[in-house]
Amino acid sequence: MTTGPVLELMGVTHAVADGPRQRVILDGIDLAVNAGELVAVTGRSGSGKSTLLAIAGLLRRPDAGTVRIAGTDASMLSSRARTALRRDHLAFVYQSANLFPALTAAEQLELVGHIRGERRASARERARGLLGELGLAERADQLPNQLSGGERQRVAVARALMADPKVLLADEPTSSLDPELAAEVSELLATQTRARGLATVLVTHGDAPLAWADRRLDLGDGALHVAGPRTAAGV
Amino acid sequence: MSLSCRHGVANPTPAHLPVTRKAICPVFLAIRDLRRGIRRFLLVGLVVTLIATLSTVLAALADGLVRDGTSGLRALPVTDLAFQPHARSVFSRSTLDDRALEAWDKAPHVTASPLGMSFVNAEPLGSGPSLDLAMFGIADESFLLPNARARASMAEPGTLVLADELRAEGAKVGDRYRVTGADVDLRVVGFTFAGSYGHVPIAYTSLDTWRSIAYGSDPRGRFSAIAIKTESGADLAAVNRAAGTETVTKSQAYDGSPGYSAETATMTLIRSFLVVIAALVVGAFFTVLTIQRTKQIGLLKAMGASNAYVLRDGVGQMGVVVVAGTLVGLLLGTGLVEVMASGQAPVELTTSAIVVTVASMVGAGLVGSLVAFRRITNVEPAIALGTEH
Repeated sequence: MTTGPVLELMGVTHAVADGPRQRVILDGIDLAVNAGELVAVTGRSGSGKSTLLAIAGLLRRPDAGTVRIAGTDASMLSSRARTALRRDHLAFVYQSANLFPALTAAEQLELVGHIRGERRASARERARGLLGELGLAERADQLPNQLSGGERQRVAVARALMADPKVLLADEPTSSLDPELAAEVSELLATQTRARGLATVLVTHGDAPLAWADRRLDLGDGALHVAGPRTAAGV
Repeated sequence: MSLSCRHGVANPTPAHLPVTRKAICPVFLAIRDLRRGIRRFLLVGLVVTLIATLSTVLAALADGLVRDGTSGLRALPVTDLAFQPHARSVFSRSTLDDRALEAWDKAPHVTASPLGMSFVNAEPLGSGPSLDLAMFGIADESFLLPNARARASMAEPGTLVLADELRAEGAKVGDRYRVTGADVDLRVVGFTFAGSYGHVPIAYTSLDTWRSIAYGSDPRGRFSAIAIKTESGADLAAVNRAAGTETVTKSQAYDGSPGYSAETATMTLIRSFLVVIAALVVGAFFTVLTIQRTKQIGLLKAMGASNAYVLRDGVGQMGVVVVAGTLVGLLLGTGLVEVMASGQAPVELTTSAIVVTVASMVGAGLVGSLVAFRRITNVEPAIALGTEH
């Protein structure tokens, strides 16, 4: 059992090419997220929110600083070890669901089991169980193009949960949904974060997820600023 | 279509994490992608099928031509043939005499027999078509004659034993022919399965008769080559030195068959080009497919799939398409070969040709897909978030 923050970013600095110059978009970022905590990060377009998620999710290496996942310092790990750490402890929910067009809802989840080397029968059973838990049992055998936008995003959440992660990273998961569905998906993420003890970082433009966040941070000028008090509405 | 499952590790786990060994299928996404998007793969599958069909037919034709060009030589019960030095297994370039034969006759663990060979045209001394013949002259008591009946037939001067296939051209026992240019008359005394040499049907006659055809009234004991049957312990090099000859094995002697080298080289070239075309087609298709799937590959990697996992998925998909296309092509090709064989075309489909066809197509698919596979390993997982800069 990990004690202390599950996700820690310490002094993370990162610059991107901006024409001929390098622009620092993350400048010594410190962030610690505990189990069961949902942190919402807002910021203008291009402020570096997605880059922050990519670094926290071990998809990119920062120019400087440390990322620690469930107590493991990922900074010095090889790409292969980072991939394994990602597989075992991290999961993502994307802006546009990012489902595989050739897989049914259940298979989207089974794929996670397959990548993790899980026995097919076990993965299938867990997938069906998770979809049922998220109210998608009837949609388990549908392909993405047969699902509504809200259903697709809920399948994406289920797929992330299938990895049994310690850290959940959501990149504007409600931005392509109407307000009602956005609220529904936000609630789903918040309840799952608390029920499963996830350390969740949610990047958003919209208001819906903010109402469910334990902390709101605003990313601007390369730094994270506290954006408001705890607003755990309905929790 | 499905791939069988095996025991293994889906995604090798680094040393610091627990290893999980489970019964898993090697590929997951690729097979479902194939099943549900089969139309995307039809075109490349069709091209692979057509190439495999053509490759099968060409392999059968190549082997058939080799058989047709050398079956007469293959049928001879010899292990080696001795030629005049530098004759390169070509009978018409080789002339030996009794001095050379004497050395071979004395050699231990060796049975030798003089052999005359030349291509002749024979005009019928009655009605019927003229015959082109690869005429072998064989000594009366030669080990090349299979039995007493054959020896008796060949003992008489001016007799001729023809390859079976000449029956179809109207030749029959008792027919008389005159060898064009030599004016030697020959009488057909029998038929045998003798095949052909240089695509010309074989005919056997006595060595004396052959000499009168080849050298007229001044044969001086000459013949073309020496047929040799060796036993263990035979020192061919020593006998060659003594006899002033050059020995080749029976299969090496096929090279001397007229057209043999050109035919095999041409067929090999065409088949090699087909394999290269297959590699390019499969490679181009899977490279485009990989570019189209870049985000999916990034997503898989973001989910923790290793390069090996993603590659296995891609190779599995390519493998299914290429193997399925090749097998269908093989079936079509085999059917075509059957049709061609019934029309007297020189075709022969061997197991080794089938294995080579399948292996070369799969190999071509793998080589062609290397570019695509390299792309797969270069895809950054950050692309899943759209932050790949």
